[in-house]
Amino acid sequence: MTMSESLLEVKALKVHFPVNVGLFARPTEFVRAVDDVSFTIAPGETVGLVGESGCGKTTLGRAVIRLIEPTGGQILFDGMDLVPLKGAALRAQRRKFQMIFQDPFASLNPRAKVENIIGEALDIHRLVLNATARRQRVESLLQDVGLEAAHAQRYPHEFSGGQRQRIGIARALAVQPKLIVCDEPVSALDVSVQAQIVNLLRDLQQEHGMAYLFVAHDLAVVRHISRRILVMYLGRIVESGEARSVCQSPRHPYTQALISAVPVVDPKLKRRRMVLAGDVPSPIHPPAGCPFHPRCPVAEARCKTEVPALREVESGHWVSCHLAK
Amino acid sequence: MPLLEIRNLQIDFGHGLKALRAVDGVALSLEPGKTLGLVGESGSGKSVTALAIARLLACPPAVYAGGEILLAGRDVLRLRAAELRQIRGGLVSYVFQEPGASLNPVFRIGGQIKEALQLHRPEAATDAEVIRLLKLVGIPAPETRMKSYPHELSGGMQQRVMIAMALAPQPKLLVADEPTTALDVTIQAQIIELLAQLRQQLGMAILLITHNLGIVGDIADDVAVMYAGQIVEQGPAHDLLQRPLHPYTQALMKSVPTLAADAERLTTISGQVPRLGAFPTGCRFHPRCPVARPECSQAPPPLAEVEPRRWVRCPYWNSPSLKA
Repeated sequence: MTMSESLLEVKALKVHFPVNVGLFARPTEFVRAVDDVSFTIAPGETVGLVGESGCGKTTLGRAVIRLIEPTGGQILFDGMDLVPLKGAALRAQRRKFQMIFQDPFASLNPRAKVENIIGEALDIHRLVLNATARRQRVESLLQDVGLEAAHAQRYPHEFSGGQRQRIGIARALAVQPKLIVCDEPVSALDVSVQAQIVNLLRDLQQEHGMAYLFVAHDLAVVRHISRRILVMYLGRIVESGEARSVCQSPRHPYTQALISAVPVVDPKLKRRRMVLAGDVPSPIHPPAGCPFHPRCPVAEARCKTEVPALREVESGHWVSCHLAK
Repeated sequence: MPLLEIRNLQIDFGHGLKALRAVDGVALSLEPGKTLGLVGESGSGKSVTALAIARLLACPPAVYAGGEILLAGRDVLRLRAAELRQIRGGLVSYVFQEPGASLNPVFRIGGQIKEALQLHRPEAATDAEVIRLLKLVGIPAPETRMKSYPHELSGGMQQRVMIAMALAPQPKLLVADEPTTALDVTIQAQIIELLAQLRQQLGMAILLITHNLGIVGDIADDVAVMYAGQIVEQGPAHDLLQRPLHPYTQALMKSVPTLAADAERLTTISGQVPRLGAFPTGCRFHPRCPVARPECSQAPPPLAEVEPRRWVRCPYWNSPSLKA
């Protein structure tokens, strides 16, 4: 894919956090939260990022928009590398990418009216000329996300979880970004409200044309909204491809286990469950060879020593497993 | 005789005119060794019902306003404090959602399990019994693990310790309140398998409280669906999940995203779960119901047995618009 086609191109991104600081404050060990990750997002595309807790998906989502400092690699946004940017130059770029957070109770200032929560972004980027224009813009944003103009004068505690998440979405939309990183945007909501928010995100994308990086642990939700899916395990991408291809013919044993673990409502569709033994290993001392081999049901001798590279097994479908065909 | 029989349970929060009814006329029954799934969204009253079984709700603000909870034939709501202590942990044990918050962070897990043994089976309060219980719930190297503190264990392992602690007094009924909600899907699958296996091995009954219909299908014999403090549908799990009759159950099942479907719009339930104290008149689901009629806002519909063992709180369950 050439640069002009992709909105975001992440190359060999690394985020390492120091732990166990040794003598003279020199870090002796690192958590390799994100290790050598590369992917692209096209304009207006939705890419899903799935994995279990501790796999590094939230860190990756935040590092991509420079909320966490990357340790190495490149983040090309519209062809411009974000990694070396600082201060005003970075702030000028921030308008192009926004974030929606998981917990709608923690991510809105309880002392601010909705008008100011959404309006603050407009002020910072000087997108409105006067108070009247600001009020009108906030009210139209509220209507875009399915709330009423009158809600602008209320405080966050007056809203339900689903409505608060709509306010968070309106705030992200305010600066007309090209990319929104959605970090578990529906996992704190009730099932019936989850579906409303997923549909709203799809409608807004059709209307405004921004791209999403949709981070979640629920593969079924990700499947519904994404065109492509990245599966992450211990800081690395182990499988990526078209959503349908990844969900219907997963090649990596980890993805296969993840899919078989998704509970199915209809008893007629019950499949054989592949229950993985053990927990996700520590990212400070990841296993040698393939990071998944201690839990892998089909691991061989070479999986313990050789790190599998991501290779294309089918057009657009990449897997890092020695045994995948 | 059923192990647990709840009859017309009514629980209020607050007194007099300010009283808000969180649980309104819930009736459930659970045979020994069976599993009942109690499903609902937040605010439906499912956790309040579960906590009432061992009278664990803080009073005030909660008030047991009416009904009976018969546990092995005795009404829990009329027991004295000393008798309640015997039942809590002895006859019925609980496993909660957040294992990290339920374990005491300053004591080793072995000691915490032993405490449960000392209370109910003092003769068995030994290291050997603790090790046996840890082995039973699938914790590797239990001899060394019993000396661990809760923070040294992962979430899945902490939940296994909670289950070991709940099993220590050999209860007849295990109430699992969202036991896997805080866990990853692969760990969730492990815990559900463990519960299913323990039920077979030990012959205890399980009351599983969850918002996840998929989990219910994996383990439950019967399902009760709650909405706004009432049971709206009840029946055998296999039949109910394949052929839901109440419009709420149908809508809830349709709004769960599945892996099979291609990216398309999800079916939603319009509006929100009503808040306590703001339950609609008539049928409580009517403002969100896709097939509501004007009559639905008038009289509250009764829970009726429409087919053998299938109970539905909707007089129009058989109308053609609902079968589509």
